Amino acid sequence: MTPIAFILLIIGVPLVLMLLYVFIRGSMGLRRYILTRIGLTLPMIFILASLVFFIMRILPGDPVRSALGPRGTAEQAENMRRTLGLDQPLIVQYGNFLIDIITLDFGTSMVGGHRPIIDEMSERFPATLELIIPSSILALAIGIIGGSLAASKRRKFPDYSLRVYSVIIYSLPIFWFGLMLQLLFGIQWKLLPVAGRIDPVIRTSLQPVTNLYLIDSLISGNWPAFWSGVQHLILPTITLGLVLSGVFVRMTRINVIETLQADYIAAARARGIRERVVVYGHALKNAMIPVITLIGLQVAILLAGAVLTETIFNWPGMGGYLVQRISSRDYTAVQSVIAMFALLVALISLAVDLVYSLLDPRVRY
Amino acid sequence: MSSTEGSNTPTKRETEGWQNDLQRVGLVRRLLMARKWYGVDWWFVAISAVMVLAFIFIAFFPGLLAPYEPDQIVGTSFLHPGKYPDVPVLVVRTESTVETLLDLATPEGEDRPSVGVVQGGTEATAVREHSQELDDQLIQDGNGLRLRPRIERYDDVQELLNAVNDGTILAAVVNSNEFNQVKSDYPDLRSGDSILGETASAGGFIMGTNEIGQDVFSRLLWGTRIALIVGFSSSIISLLLGLPLGLLAGYFGGAFDRLLSLVMDSLYAFPGLILAIAITSVLGPSIYNVIVAIAVLYIPTYYRIVRGQTLTVKEEVYIEAAKSIGARRWEILWRYIYPNVIPSVAIIFSVNVADAILTSAGLSFLGLGLPPTMADWGIDLARGQRFIQTAWWLITYPGIAIMLIVLAFTMMGEGLMEIYNPKLRER
Repeated sequence: MTPIAFILLIIGVPLVLMLLYVFIRGSMGLRRYILTRIGLTLPMIFILASLVFFIMRILPGDPVRSALGPRGTAEQAENMRRTLGLDQPLIVQYGNFLIDIITLDFGTSMVGGHRPIIDEMSERFPATLELIIPSSILALAIGIIGGSLAASKRRKFPDYSLRVYSVIIYSLPIFWFGLMLQLLFGIQWKLLPVAGRIDPVIRTSLQPVTNLYLIDSLISGNWPAFWSGVQHLILPTITLGLVLSGVFVRMTRINVIETLQADYIAAARARGIRERVVVYGHALKNAMIPVITLIGLQVAILLAGAVLTETIFNWPGMGGYLVQRISSRDYTAVQSVIAMFALLVALISLAVDLVYSLLDPRVRY
Repeated sequence: MSSTEGSNTPTKRETEGWQNDLQRVGLVRRLLMARKWYGVDWWFVAISAVMVLAFIFIAFFPGLLAPYEPDQIVGTSFLHPGKYPDVPVLVVRTESTVETLLDLATPEGEDRPSVGVVQGGTEATAVREHSQELDDQLIQDGNGLRLRPRIERYDDVQELLNAVNDGTILAAVVNSNEFNQVKSDYPDLRSGDSILGETASAGGFIMGTNEIGQDVFSRLLWGTRIALIVGFSSSIISLLLGLPLGLLAGYFGGAFDRLLSLVMDSLYAFPGLILAIAITSVLGPSIYNVIVAIAVLYIPTYYRIVRGQTLTVKEEVYIEAAKSIGARRWEILWRYIYPNVIPSVAIIFSVNVADAILTSAGLSFLGLGLPPTMADWGIDLARGQRFIQTAWWLITYPGIAIMLIVLAFTMMGEGLMEIYNPKLRER
C-alpha cells in the first residue's frame, strides 16, 4: 500500500461511508443540511489554501535565496526557481498550488533527498494520528467526568476546584508542561522514555503495515514492541491530553448546567429519581451533544498542540516535520504541510458536524 | 438604587431585583457591587488584577528589581539556584571602611597591609595578580599610593577568619562559597565585593545562572517586558481591525457580511500557532513580525464577538426609537451600538492578551519568533531544553513565569465574563 492511499483510506473512507449512509437514510431536511455543509467546506478549504499561498508568496523574503544559503550562486538560484515554478507569474503559481492540493501532489522537497513531499508527509502522518487519538480520548474522559461532577455540585467545592483546574490548564504552556513531565518522569525518576515513538532496537523487529506502531505490533503479536510503544506514548499523551482537557471540563460543565435546568430534569427529579441517575443518566446524554461540536472546534488546539508536543518529545509526526523543514528552510514542504493541516481541519470539522446532525434531530435546514 | 428612588411608586424594575441594578451602572461600579453576589468570581478578578498590575510594574521597571542586566554575564555557568558564585571575595570586619582591594592602598613608604588567604587555594594567586594590576594603575596615576599587600597564609578558613575577627589582619580573601557556609559563626564579619571586580560576588543567584553565566532571575524580570509588549500590541492591533469590521458586518449585513464571515470563520478554525509559524517563517525573526503574525490570528476573535453583539443590539427597542427620531445610520452605529459592544470587547481583550503571550512563547520556543539572544521566556525555555539533563532551573522558572502571567490575564477575563455577562461564556 502506498502511503498516499493510506492517508486517503484513514480520513476519506469513513467520511464517505458516513456521508452516504446519512444521505440515503436521512430525511429531506438532513440531506439539505449535508449539502449546505459540504458547500461551506469547499470555500473554507479554498480560503485557507489561498491564505497560506499569499502569506508564503507575498510577504517579503526570498525562499530560494534562504534555501541555498550564502554560498548559492545566481545560476543555482535561477535553476531552482525554474524547477519549482517560481519564475512563472503569480497567478499561474496560484493555480498550480490549488491543483496540487486537489491532487494531493505537492512536488518534491527543496533540500535533502528531494523525495516527494506527499511521501514524507504520509510517513509521518500515522505518528501524529497515534498521538492525537489517545490524547483526545484522555481529554474527553477528564472533560466528561470532571465537567458533570462540577455541574452537579455547582457552587460547591468540586465546582470551584474544577474551574480553577480548567483556568490553570488553559494557562499552561504546553511545551513547558511537556518538559516538566520529561524532567520528573524521564530524568528524575527514570520511569519513562522521553523521546521518540519506540525503542530503535525493537523497531527493527516490527513489520510496518499501517505505520501505527501500536496496531502493527498488535497485529503481529509483537509484545515487546507494543510495550515499548505504549511506554513512549504515555508522556506525550498526558501532555497533549491534559492541556486539552481544561476546555472540555469547561464546556461539559456549562452544558450540563444548562441541561439540568430543563423541564424534563425537573420532572425526573419530581418522580423521585436519585440525583446521581438524573445527572449521569438523563442530563449528561443530552449535554454531550454540544460537546461533540466542541471537539470540532478544538481540532485547531489539538493540531497546534501536536506541533509543540512532537517537538518536545522528538515525535516523528507532521508537526515535527513542519518544524524541521522550517529550520532547513524547505519552503515548498512548509507550504505543503500547512496546506495539509488546512485540509485536515476542514475535513474534521465537516465530519464532526455530520455526526452532530445525526445525533441532534433539531439540526436541519 | 432603583429601590430607593422608586419607593413611592413601585416600578417593574424593583420586582426584578438586583440583576437590574447591575444592568444600570457602569463596569467599575458593577464590579464593586458584584462582590456580594459573585464571591469566587469577584476574588478571581481582584487577585488577577493585582497580578496584572504587578506584572505591568515589573515590565516598566525591571531594573528596580533585577540585580543585573538581562544579557550581562555575571557568574560562572550553571550555578544552582541559591548558590553563590565561586569567586574570591574580600572579607573584613563589619565596621571596616574597606570595600575593594583598592581601599587597601597605602602611601609609598608606609607599612604594607597584610591580607590573609587559605593555604593551598587559588586566592593567593588571584590577590597577587590583581593587586599587581591595580598597583600598575596607581603608579601611572602617580599620587603616591601603592598597593602591595603582604600575603599571609593560614591553614584553614576558621583560623583565617578568626585572625580577621580579632584584628590581627585587616582583610582576608576567601572563596565566596566557603565564606557563606561559615558566615553565621562570624557576626562581626562581612564580605565585600569580588576582588576580580565582578559585580556578581555579593548576592547569590536565587534562580541560578544559565549556560553562559547570565542570571536567570534577571532575565525573567526583563522578559516580562517582552511578553507584555507582544501581548498588548498584538491584541490592540487585532482589536483595531476586528472591532470596526465586526461592527460594519453586523450592522449592514448583506454580501459583505457573508463573505467576510466566511473568511473570518476559516481563519478562526485554523490552528493559530501554525498560521503564526507560517507568517514568521517567511518574515524572519523580529519582535515586529511576531506582533504582526499574532495580531492577524486574533482578528477573527474580535470580529465574531463584535458581530454577534451588534446583531443582538441592533434589534433593541432603543435603536428603533433612534431611527424613528431620524438618527443617521453612522450615528446609530457610533452612539448606540458601539458603546454596548465595548464591555464584551474589554473582556475578550484580557483573554486575548493571555493567548497572545502564550502563542508568542510557543513561537520563540520553536525558534521562530524573536531573535535568539533576546531576554524572552520562550527563548530561555528553548535554550534551557538542551540542558534538561543537568540544569532543571533553566526550564522550570521561565515556564512558571509564562504560566503566571497567562493565568493572571485569563482569570481576569474569566471572572469579568461571569460577572459582567454570563452569556459570553462560550468563547
